Amino acid sequence: MSLTTFMGVERDKIDWSPTIDYTKCDYCMECVNFCPHKVFEVRENEEIKLIIRNPDNCVVFCRACSKICGPDALSFPDKNATTQRIKEIRKEETNG
Amino acid sequence: MVENYAILPCNGLDKCAGVISRELAIKLCENAHNEIICPVYSRVAEKKYNKIAGEHSLLVIDGCQTRCASKLAAEKNLKISRKVTITEEAKNHNIELGNNLRLQENENGLIEIILNGLNTEDKVTPFSDEINVEYNFKYKTYQNGKFIFRVPENPEVYFNENDCWAYVIGNRARIGVTDFVQQNLSDILFFAPPEIGAEIDQFGEAGEIESSKSVFELISPVSGKVISINETLLQTPELVNENPYELGWIAELELTGFESDKELLIGFGKYFEIMKKKVEDLNG
Repeated sequence: MSLTTFMGVERDKIDWSPTIDYTKCDYCMECVNFCPHKVFEVRENEEIKLIIRNPDNCVVFCRACSKICGPDALSFPDKNATTQRIKEIRKEETNG
Repeated sequence: MVENYAILPCNGLDKCAGVISRELAIKLCENAHNEIICPVYSRVAEKKYNKIAGEHSLLVIDGCQTRCASKLAAEKNLKISRKVTITEEAKNHNIELGNNLRLQENENGLIEIILNGLNTEDKVTPFSDEINVEYNFKYKTYQNGKFIFRVPENPEVYFNENDCWAYVIGNRARIGVTDFVQQNLSDILFFAPPEIGAEIDQFGEAGEIESSKSVFELISPVSGKVISINETLLQTPELVNENPYELGWIAELELTGFESDKELLIGFGKYFEIMKKKVEDLNG
């Protein structure tokens, strides 16, 4: 359902998706209901009930799920480093 | 000064931030003519509170990012004029909140800081240096079902793949969201502008818009210093639904690295195709 490239770079080459801090997460599942891109997966019968299932579905630079997370359990990579990396990959691909 | 407001607090009794919301609401009513809307009682006494909400501007106090109070306001179709989120305020002021449901020194300190902030906010007139923009946009539209998506074709308008645009005029740019965002959010009820004077990186956060469905963080296509915000949106955020490119613009930036930013921006043609694909993907 999501685009396979972002800014002309293969999506799976870009490291951008949320990380769940399980010491904070209270499994309220607000993020699951919020994200339309199916990044998260609920595992009802497991000890860890929420995982990042489809990291490459996550919209690069979007941090909206962390904004609605009550216990502040979601974090994202450094945006500037990601921007830099995208520029590098684009350069490598143009030159290579 | 917070005066003549209807105050809708989170009132979550099982979380510290909720207890702070409640205390803050009480304090705001102690020394000024403000009225509390009890989120619990409002479930059964809608008429009473609709009257209060109709006669006052609404200040919502959310305890945490779950935004129960904001969601309640959206459910009741109440327009939010001002908003405070306790956990965010705590973060901004480097105050660690405990788990205790009885307020301690830190929590009381935070309440005082927020009160001071709210009561002085109105006196500060931020420097707003708005450019005189003459819109001359020509739109191309794409229709999917009953939804119509407009995109300006003008070459001065740049987009990122996060559905935000920048209209570049000299060394300044006006920024906002596209029709794709406003159609997905549906009725926009609240606008949180970026701070005037803030330096924003490319792809940095430049304000938020919120509907009953969701929150959207505007991801700035360009880097720069915020020199102006669309103050009209504070009272009428629904203008973003009406036209997110003209009356619904979000902020103006003095550009600091546009030549380099341009590398990761796209023009009308590319964005129109990407947006179409997104709409098709969402609607199956």
